[in-house]
Amino acid sequence: MSESVKGFKFVDEVCKNPIKKVKELKEKTGRKIMGYICAYPPIEMLTAANVIPYRVFGDVNEPITEGDRVLPPVICSYVRSIVDLSIKGKFNFLDGVIWSHSCDCMHKGGFVYTSIVGKPEPYVLEIPTTVREGTIDVFKYELSEFKKWLENFAGKEISMEELKEAIEKHNKQRFLVRKLYELRQQDPPLISGVETLKVISVVEALPVEEGNKVLEEVIDEAKKRKDKPKKQRARLLIWGSIIDSPALLQMIEEAGANIVMDDTCVCSRQFWLHSQDPSIKTTGDLIENLARSYLLENKCPRIYLGSYGDLKKDYKKDLEERFGYLKDYIENWKVNGVIIHSLRCCDVHGYEVPQVKDYLSMLGVPSIYIEPEYDAKSLPPLRTRIEAFLETIS
Amino acid sequence: MYFAGIDIGSTFTKVVVVDSNGNIVSKIEVPTRAEQRKLANKVMVEALNKSNLSLDEIAYIVATGYGRFNVPFADRQVTELTCHARGINSIFPSVKTAIDIGGQDSKGLKVKDGKLVNFVTNDKCAAGTGRFLEVMADLLNLKVEDLGKISLKSTKKVKISSICTVFARYEVMTKISENIPIEDVIAGLHYAIADRIIRMVSRIGIEPDVAVTGGVAKNVGVIRAIEDLLGYKVLVPEDPLITGALGAAIIGKNIVEEALKRGEVIKRGPRRLEEVTFYW
Repeated sequence: MSESVKGFKFVDEVCKNPIKKVKELKEKTGRKIMGYICAYPPIEMLTAANVIPYRVFGDVNEPITEGDRVLPPVICSYVRSIVDLSIKGKFNFLDGVIWSHSCDCMHKGGFVYTSIVGKPEPYVLEIPTTVREGTIDVFKYELSEFKKWLENFAGKEISMEELKEAIEKHNKQRFLVRKLYELRQQDPPLISGVETLKVISVVEALPVEEGNKVLEEVIDEAKKRKDKPKKQRARLLIWGSIIDSPALLQMIEEAGANIVMDDTCVCSRQFWLHSQDPSIKTTGDLIENLARSYLLENKCPRIYLGSYGDLKKDYKKDLEERFGYLKDYIENWKVNGVIIHSLRCCDVHGYEVPQVKDYLSMLGVPSIYIEPEYDAKSLPPLRTRIEAFLETIS
Repeated sequence: MYFAGIDIGSTFTKVVVVDSNGNIVSKIEVPTRAEQRKLANKVMVEALNKSNLSLDEIAYIVATGYGRFNVPFADRQVTELTCHARGINSIFPSVKTAIDIGGQDSKGLKVKDGKLVNFVTNDKCAAGTGRFLEVMADLLNLKVEDLGKISLKSTKKVKISSICTVFARYEVMTKISENIPIEDVIAGLHYAIADRIIRMVSRIGIEPDVAVTGGVAKNVGVIRAIEDLLGYKVLVPEDPLITGALGAAIIGKNIVEEALKRGEVIKRGPRRLEEVTFYW
């Protein structure tokens, strides 16, 4: 790829084969590349260790064959896809991969990966699932253990100065993603849901500085673009399980909707779009700052962020406390319908579906619940339901 | 003025033409097969001939059903969920919950003020649909339309435990080999379908009045089973097959009426009354 390819064109090019691009980077810079599977491992530490963070995706177009041998079909198909691709050697270009206790599937999946696949070298990061007194200290301890492993892996110690610098770069990335998302507040949005996912997935495959450059270019181009998305009959928010391929979003947008906002991994959740200030503090105890921000700012339902020990309180108050940020999304992005998406066997999202639905009804926002397979072939039958939903709201 | 709705379902293709009062002037029901889905134009011509109308006299045509994109003479495509809701509302205005059991899909609809407000559909499995009964009729060497009548003779229905069509078929074979009366086996099948559908529709809340439509609504045994499980009577249209096509025609009528009220020109599609190839 020539150096002059920029912005959206660059994103399209890399999307065709992100692994090729990363391999080129590896050859050129000699830096190690570390995969990570979830939004919880603090990638600032990787950047500080001169390791390139690479967000690992599954593949909705690759049938799970080898993966079924080691993980039965009752396990999340996203995790099975990653294990399947790992067995098939698709991630051999990575030097290491961080699994984490994001949910039971990823936690145990990490150990299955460790014993069955083993290469690239794994680390399974422990992450607390409820927040109460002392929880931050627990996570801080886990992160310092991880730091030791990472220093050994990278062959260098991470100085606090380097960590501070890395946090600043990633803070800038969170700020830029916010700017990107603001372009979707317009009607019609300046960037579609599919395009947003493509941009973010490229950003997450590149070193932070390069990702920031891509974001700046794309934001600049989108502001001036003439080929912006067409205005459609609905402005949708999609909430739920991981969406790492454009197939589902494309089907929804083609059915006649603008997806203007998401509360999903790999997109907005990774960048804490809900918070007033998404920056991680660069003063004081940096590891504690990382632990605090990562644990409290990500709104993934893998963690219970309500008031622990006070569960008998008012149901409505509890919903407001845990999902209140969705109200801001709906107001600021002028959303008139919500897709509640829970991948088959994704229990962390499944548990929350009725409550998110209740909260949205309280707000008077219509929603539809879908539970697709992690497989692009399973999408066409869903289209009629999406169209019918759009007919009910417009 | 006349309005037409064409509903290309998985098993039957239905056309309904209504006049400006919403009265049905003609209706057609023919089996959908791969080639007939291609020949939507033939069915339309038949419906036009039956009512002595030309294509130009039809003010608006709405296509629905899973084959709705194979209708090049339609002015608009609307999903069968919205069409069924509108259709059932015009037949039974009191209905709040409609259960449609078609050849390959089943759906539950919540209707409020004539509009679809919530719905649920089967999406991965055809066990709770007409196909289930077709498979069993075939196995028992009976006509599918006779199953309802036969099951009414049952005095002690059997329990069919499996919800999978393939496994249930095996279960039926076992019961038959145990010399269990055929009417008891069939009654068991009807309860299996009814149970599955009611569980599905419960997800959106079943509120009376309840109507049951679709081809399976012609089966009195399934209707009895549904009523038994719900604990009250349900409404069944005289011709339960055409609900979607009727709703489509009425949606077309509303579109035209609203456009006329606003003094707008009616936007029609580029109508082509010709055979199409699949493109969706």
